[in-house]
Amino acid sequence: MKTAVIKYPGTTCEIDVYKALLEAGVNAEIVRYKDFDPDKFDAVILPGGFSFGDYLRAGSIAASTETMKKVKEMALEGKTVIGICNGFQILVESGLLKGALLPNLSLRFISKWVYLKVVRFDTPLTRGLNKNVIRMPIAHAEGRFYMDDIEEAKRLAVLLYSDENGNVDEKVNPNGSILNVASIANEEGNVIGMMPHPERASFKLTSPFGDTDGLLLFRGLK
Amino acid sequence: MKITLSPYEMELVRKQLGREPNEAEWLTIDALWSEHCSYKSSKVFLKSFPSEGERVVMGIEDWQDAGALDIGDGWAIVLKLESHNHPSAIDPFNGAATGVGGIIRDIISKGARPIALLDMIRVGPLNNSRNRWLLKNIIAGIGFYGNSIGVPVVGGELDFDESYTDNPLVDVAGVGVVRKDKIIPSVIKEPGLKIIIVGLTGLDGLGGASFASRKLSGEDEIGAVQIADPFAGKIVLDVTLEVADKVEAIKDLGGGGLVVGITEMANGFGAIVNLDKVPLRVKDLRPEEILVSETQERMLFAVKDENVEKVCKAFEYYEYPCAVIGEFTKEPYIKFLYNGREVVSLPSDLLLSPPRFVWGAKKVREKRLNETKPEVGLEESVKAVVSRILSKEWAYSQFDYEVGTSTVLKPGEADSALISLPNGKLLAIKGDANPDLCAEDPYECGKSIVAEAYRNLASVGAIGIGVVDHLQFGDPRKPDVYYSFVEAIRGIAEASKFFQTPIVGGKVSFYNENKEGKPIKPTPLIVMAGLVKDKFLRNSVVEDSYIVQVGFTRDEMRGSLFTKLFGVYGDVPKTRLNEDYLASQLIVDAINDEKVIFAKDINKGGLIGAIFSILVKGKGVELTLSSIPSDTDDWVPKLFSENSGRFIVLTNDPDYLMRKAKGIYISVVGKVTKNYGILEIDDKKINLDKEIENYYNYLNEVMS
Repeated sequence: MKTAVIKYPGTTCEIDVYKALLEAGVNAEIVRYKDFDPDKFDAVILPGGFSFGDYLRAGSIAASTETMKKVKEMALEGKTVIGICNGFQILVESGLLKGALLPNLSLRFISKWVYLKVVRFDTPLTRGLNKNVIRMPIAHAEGRFYMDDIEEAKRLAVLLYSDENGNVDEKVNPNGSILNVASIANEEGNVIGMMPHPERASFKLTSPFGDTDGLLLFRGLK
Repeated sequence: MKITLSPYEMELVRKQLGREPNEAEWLTIDALWSEHCSYKSSKVFLKSFPSEGERVVMGIEDWQDAGALDIGDGWAIVLKLESHNHPSAIDPFNGAATGVGGIIRDIISKGARPIALLDMIRVGPLNNSRNRWLLKNIIAGIGFYGNSIGVPVVGGELDFDESYTDNPLVDVAGVGVVRKDKIIPSVIKEPGLKIIIVGLTGLDGLGGASFASRKLSGEDEIGAVQIADPFAGKIVLDVTLEVADKVEAIKDLGGGGLVVGITEMANGFGAIVNLDKVPLRVKDLRPEEILVSETQERMLFAVKDENVEKVCKAFEYYEYPCAVIGEFTKEPYIKFLYNGREVVSLPSDLLLSPPRFVWGAKKVREKRLNETKPEVGLEESVKAVVSRILSKEWAYSQFDYEVGTSTVLKPGEADSALISLPNGKLLAIKGDANPDLCAEDPYECGKSIVAEAYRNLASVGAIGIGVVDHLQFGDPRKPDVYYSFVEAIRGIAEASKFFQTPIVGGKVSFYNENKEGKPIKPTPLIVMAGLVKDKFLRNSVVEDSYIVQVGFTRDEMRGSLFTKLFGVYGDVPKTRLNEDYLASQLIVDAINDEKVIFAKDINKGGLIGAIFSILVKGKGVELTLSSIPSDTDDWVPKLFSENSGRFIVLTNDPDYLMRKAKGIYISVVGKVTKNYGILEIDDKKINLDKEIENYYNYLNEVMS
């Protein structure tokens, strides 16, 4: 599979994601947003950052670009589409994923390492995972996932904020997301959005606990 | 717009020029001769800094936007430190944010990729609601800019003192990496190059350099504050690095705006600039305003004819304004035209040669009557001191410190930040200041902050290679202020020379005073960079490990946290540089031989301050007073003296340290126990549960 990593103006994590993909053995390329040709790729990642500055609702300007029309085509063809952090916000704003990402309950940016419980194993990222609690950092101001239909949210969720033993409760909810949702996918499982940053948990040297759980997810794109 | 030139300086201009300058010319001279841009009151003393060394690629003497140090394998790091104190006092969010933006542009103007930021914040006590408002917005502003532009904030300082109530200090340091042979100068070496400006010029930040060169007036000065736009900043960053190999010189448009950028870049040559070609954010700006506006997110490029189109095309991909506004000339005159009319025509020489001032200096020792050692109990003093030590998580959790996937030691994890470099080496970086000590003895303080930074780097396994400094004082024309300035420089210069950590850049910020005209505590600040020798240390606290003090405790209590709380007495701590050096070498060796599991230098709060960082990790500590190597039997200095040259380490092999030690004391002073929150000093048990809770929660609670 060949994976495109899209760079919008204001994207900050494209190089990190690219490096992590290489580390995981994935064939990847960074593509500037106007130069994107979806036919050349089997998967696409929208990395984190502040596309167009996020001066309107996070991700909303990027969601209405020509680039996203091409990403939608890929999603419809069943190709893998992943949004990390700002990329998740773009996927929600463009309607490729359901729900909304609201400002954190604390109303401020939060950067910290969290535990995540994996609750869906039918996505390209989580297929074949032999761990059900993983660890990686979050860094966002608008990551509080919300959805009217709680049952549907339960069904779509891929990762939940948890403690190290996989217990999911309000105490370990960093931003006020319903049901502690950190990541959801579409029904088919080929479009996945996640607030945590797997690329930041892909290198032993910079992982404070030596874990490289991010690589476990990215290996699904090989 | 206000002019800050003195009548004497104005007379000097008239004499040299042989005529009366027009309004635009006065503004031009005012900006270039401002203290902020010209260092007219500081230059003579700054020249005493050691600026040479085998690693120095670009130093202070080169008159560049930032200094550079060789880190091996054909790579260099670029270092820069600046403050945004005055703007932050008025609009803390934009003041702090534009401070970050300015630093980042200084780094990219060397063709370097920014990889880390540090922020050092000083505000008044948080029981005052305005101070809370200032702090909240300063942190939010740094986060807003740093996060959006994708450069991690990896460390810093946060401190409180009454003297910063009206005049907070907001210091930002930046590090960048660049191939040594690709460093770009900020000045031209030949005339005939085209001048390109990118970004829009607006009405914000009018006369900012001049504003920063006088004390805050309390009048409405909001127009001198610049507005931050990190999205534009990110485009400037990405594209500048993309076109860097097609330009001859790059300069950030910072203090003083276009007029200063052009004049400094011309470097003694001349320039002809058409102000009507400058892309504007608002219509109908007056030429005088275009000249001195300090609108952010703009850069100047000096470009050969054949590269002009390539440079602008790269900006146009992102729909970012890019315009040719003139060219550098052989004739040494700085000329600005507007619709064909000459608005400014001044000799480069006049603009670049402001008068130099060396002000009178007088030592003023505050008279303290009946100065005696305060009577305080052991438990009371321990509790009071440790409750002033706070986790800064509230602040750094607002920063995207993981972006770049290069942050090895995270903020708050150790005494120094650690980041990985493109050549595989590890860079340690730390900022240090000590205003309480500087208020007592600026010379000893100058030495002490350099020594402290050197120890901080050693505690993670790194050896210092270079320094950038920032000297923050009140009005230099006041003899006691100028005395502390001169003394602090002497101390910093001496210590930097001793440690062979040349000073490769710096900044002076005067006129930091409160509304009554009382200066801030003298606050020189340094940031030191160092390289990990081989292995680095990630601290861990393990039960039953030995607590070893490396170094000798002295009865020198003045300027300490203890005396700040209970009353000033005693001697000023003298920094014995050789002890800092020997102790640091030992720590680095022990880290490489894997003989320590935790290392921390002893500074604020003395031995107790260092021990507290073991207690907050969920363990207990036993200390034996008689085993602390000291020149006194008094428990107060043993526990609270802040004299330099000392570390606390945790180890399972204290004999190793004793065997390896050269010229310094090593002593097992205690043990780590399993008794959470219990500090045992000889037979006395002190429960620090509440203080640990305060450590973790205070900032969150007071700031929410």
